[in-house]
Formats: sequence, C-alpha cells, structure tokens
Amino acid sequence: MKELISTVKEVKQIADNTYSLTVTLPESAGEIKGGQFLNIATGDGSRLLKRPFGIVKADGNDITVCFQLKGDGTVALSEAKAGDKLAVLLPLGNGFIIPENAKNVVIIGGGVGIFPLVPVICGNKDKKFYSYIGFRNKNCACLLDEFKKSEKLTVVTDDGSLGEKNNAVNAYFNDINNVPADLIIACGPPVMLKALKNKMKENNVKTPCLVSLEERMGCGIGACLVCVCKKSDGGNARVCKDGPVFDINEVEL
Amino acid sequence: MADLSVKICGVEFKNPVIAASGTFGFGREFDEVYDISAIGGISTKGLTNESRLGNPVPRIAEGHGVILNAVGLQNPGVEHFIKYDLDFLKSKNIVIIANVAGNTLEDYGKICKKLDGLVDMVELNISCPNVHAGGMALGIKPKNIEEVTELAKSNLKKTPLMVKLSPNVESISTNAKAAESGGADCVSLVNTFMGMVIDLEKRKPIIANNTGGVSGAGIKPMALRMVYEAAHAVKIPVVGMGGIMSGKDALEFICAGAKAVQVGTANFADALAMPRIIKEMNDWLDKHNIKNVNEIVDTLKLN
Repeated sequence: MKELISTVKEVKQIADNTYSLTVTLPESAGEIKGGQFLNIATGDGSRLLKRPFGIVKADGNDITVCFQLKGDGTVALSEAKAGDKLAVLLPLGNGFIIPENAKNVVIIGGGVGIFPLVPVICGNKDKKFYSYIGFRNKNCACLLDEFKKSEKLTVVTDDGSLGEKNNAVNAYFNDINNVPADLIIACGPPVMLKALKNKMKENNVKTPCLVSLEERMGCGIGACLVCVCKKSDGGNARVCKDGPVFDINEVEL
Repeated sequence: MADLSVKICGVEFKNPVIAASGTFGFGREFDEVYDISAIGGISTKGLTNESRLGNPVPRIAEGHGVILNAVGLQNPGVEHFIKYDLDFLKSKNIVIIANVAGNTLEDYGKICKKLDGLVDMVELNISCPNVHAGGMALGIKPKNIEEVTELAKSNLKKTPLMVKLSPNVESISTNAKAAESGGADCVSLVNTFMGMVIDLEKRKPIIANNTGGVSGAGIKPMALRMVYEAAHAVKIPVVGMGGIMSGKDALEFICAGAKAVQVGTANFADALAMPRIIKEMNDWLDKHNIKNVNEIVDTLKLN
C-alpha cells in the first residue's frame, strides 16, 4: 500500500447527489482487487481525515471512485478541478476473493453499496454474474452499463420509478429458484445486509456469502482501531484491515 | 545533515520523533507503508492487564482542524503484547515505549511489573478521557497522580517511567510537579482535550460515546502553552505533543522546552507524516546552520 499525491483527472455527476472522481497516480499502486478501497484527502488541510471510498475502476494509474454527497468533505471532492492534487493511500482492505470453483455469482447491491461491486463484475470475465441492485429512485440510478455485463440484471427502486418497486434483497429472493448461485456478494446499507442475513437464515440458504461493510475510519490501515465491527465470536474485527469484506456468518450485522 | 539524536532518561533516540500512543498500533501496519525504523520511537497502543474490546462505534468524528476519538482502549492485553508484538518492534531498532493503562490503581503496578526490563520506557496513561474507570480519573488531581506514579515507579526497577499528562486539568504545572515528586523520570503532554461533535440533523453526538478526545492541528496552541509551562515547572525532561503536523511544529515544541515530540493524528492525514516531519526538521536546522537539534531545546524568548 502506498501514500501518493494524485492529480485529479475528472469529476462528473453521475446521479442525484452522486459523483465519480478519477485521479491519476504518479506511479503504480500495485495490484488492486475488486472490493478494495482507497483513502483520499479532501483538498483542505482543515479536514484531517481522508475519506474511504471503494475503488470502482483501476485503469493503469487512473483510479476512479464514486461517492454520494454526505458532508463538507464529499462536497469539496465534488468541486475538485482537473489538476488539483489530492493525497491518496491505497490499495486498502482485503477485497472480494472469489474461489476458483464459484462460477455463478449473485451480486446484491443497494445505493452507494453498488460501487465496490463494479470491479468484481468487470474484473472476473470467467464468472457468470446475476445482479440485483436497488436505488432510492430512478434519479439515483447509476453505473447501469457496468452492471449490464451481468448474465442477468434486475434493477429495483424504493418508489418503483425504475424497475419494480422493491429492494435488492427481496428481488433476489423472489428470483432465487431461477438463478444458480455458488457465491453471493453483497454491499449496501447496514439495514440491507441485516435483511439479507435474516432472509438467508429464514430460507435456509447455505450459499457462501461475502459482504462489504462500512464504518467511520481513522488511519485506514488497521492501526488506530476506530472502525471495528462485532464478530460472531464476540471479538472485534477492523473493517479497514480485516475487511471490509467479511463472510456474512463471521460478523454481527 | 543536522544531528537529530537525543537522549532522554538515559535512552538514546535516533531522532526526537515518537509515534503517539493509539495512532500507530504496535507499528506493523505503518511498517507496510514505510520502514518504521526511520522514526525515533513508538509509544504503543495503551495496554491494560486484560484485553479490552473498547467502545461502540462510531469512535471517530472530525471538526475544523481536529478529530475526536473515543476508541476506549481496545487492546489485546499486556501479555499478548509481550508475546506477539514486542519482538517485531525490537527488530525495527526504535525506542519502544509501552503505554500502560489501568482500570484500577493496582492494575498500573501489575502491568508495569510485567513490562519492567522488557521495553525501553513505560508511559503511564493516566489521561485517557474515553474510559470510565481509571484512565483520566487518576490523572486530574495532583495527589492521585503522585500516588499512581509512585506505585508504577516501585514496580519499574530497570525501565524509566514517563507520565502522560491530561490537559483537562486546573494546573498543568502542578500536575507535572506531582508526577515528578511521585518519581517520574519524565513527563509527556498533552493527551487529548475532551470534546463533542454534533450531527445537527439527528441532534445527536456523532461519536457513540457522546464525547471524545480532541487532537490534531487545532489543539497545537493550547498544547504549546502547556508544554512550555510544564517544562518550566519541573527538572525532569518533557516530551511534547498536540497537533504536530510538520517539522516546524515539532521544532516549536522543542523550542518551548520539550526534549522530544510525539506525533499522532498527523499519521491519519498523511501516512508518511513521521518520516516527512523528520526530514523537515533536518531541512530547517540545515537552513539555519544549526548542527544539533538539542541546541533548540528551551530556547524560547518570551516577550
């Protein structure tokens, strides 16, 4: 992992309150796996913390992340100009490790949780993906072209303005008998991941399932113990270093 | 190249820049970013007698020029540290300062006894604002500071004792003197200031613990004032910290009377902060044709 000074290449709005930011690294950061994230400074020294975002695309030394406006930091990033210099620390976290024998992979994503799922679909061309993604409404929908690389794509919205009025977890369970699944990969708000865990239990679904978690972070590399989650065995795991990807049975949601 | 080496309580540091407790773990993670043998020393994550899981999340929030944390001393316990982390730190050839945090007064004695002779220094954490037992409760009243320092000292036959002072007190000079009279070999300050950050939409504090310890660039003026006062109240060496982000910041603390500094929050803003700060200190000294960093110590001229 490397701390580097990146140069902003492009910022564009991709949906309501949602932006994509591409920065160019001065050198390679090494191999980047789907589900890994970066920490990026927000361009104002008064904000001491970098912001963690899942890496959406790594194309040579160009790295793209997407984010929703949440506070001053994300607003500042959305206003970054080409040529601005932003410190980055990457690649961070473990990423999604897809076993060789998992050929059919179900993707469940909700809201901004879809972002770290993009490189999984784009980077594993030997797998078949069955994707269920949910947005608040059609104006929040983005990156659909990337998800169209799936064998099957189901898009739902909370208000029915795009696709069915449903959520991504229910959309999958409605379709569960129609798609093969060797592995489920999910990312979304805590309430979505909790619903997924409960549904899997209720329906006795034994398919291995990986989830990517989010938490307020400090260092991003596992040193400060700020971003912990509860493990099923009662201990703590560091979301940034031991995760952000965990087996769904390994963590309390 | 200026000589950056310093000696505190007989312990030689290759440079006066020490990683502050709680921001640097036991060094392994930052060692994946750069070779941490470049730094002067590390104050470890606060060690308790038994392992601790710490506070609920969120444990961190941000303010203008500052951060707040309330980790609550999550750590694997002192024995786990000795068994699994000490050898790694020894291999990095940096000064190892074990930060010790008790739940009770007696704990401090027990933990110090376990560490005596194994580490280069012990830093007594009597100023953590984020745990309800022990922690800061022992670090506010001079009488308590003296008592816990005496107990720790009596259990440290071989290892020098540094006492880390809280800034949330009536008089930093009085408390520094209390540590000195309790037998401290040196003091470090400041720990974090108690604070709160609020999410107005939810009308709730962001941190689960409600309050947290404020650190980062914004606390530097208060920290400098306190380091100056403490350094002029006691004869034992003072290690300064609080908002150091650059080499110049570090030299300001040294000018105010500190023999060395600790760097914490800056490691989050810039994972390479410590090697950068060391380089910037050297550059400043070279530019001013000063051959040895010790020449700066306590050279502040008041108006």
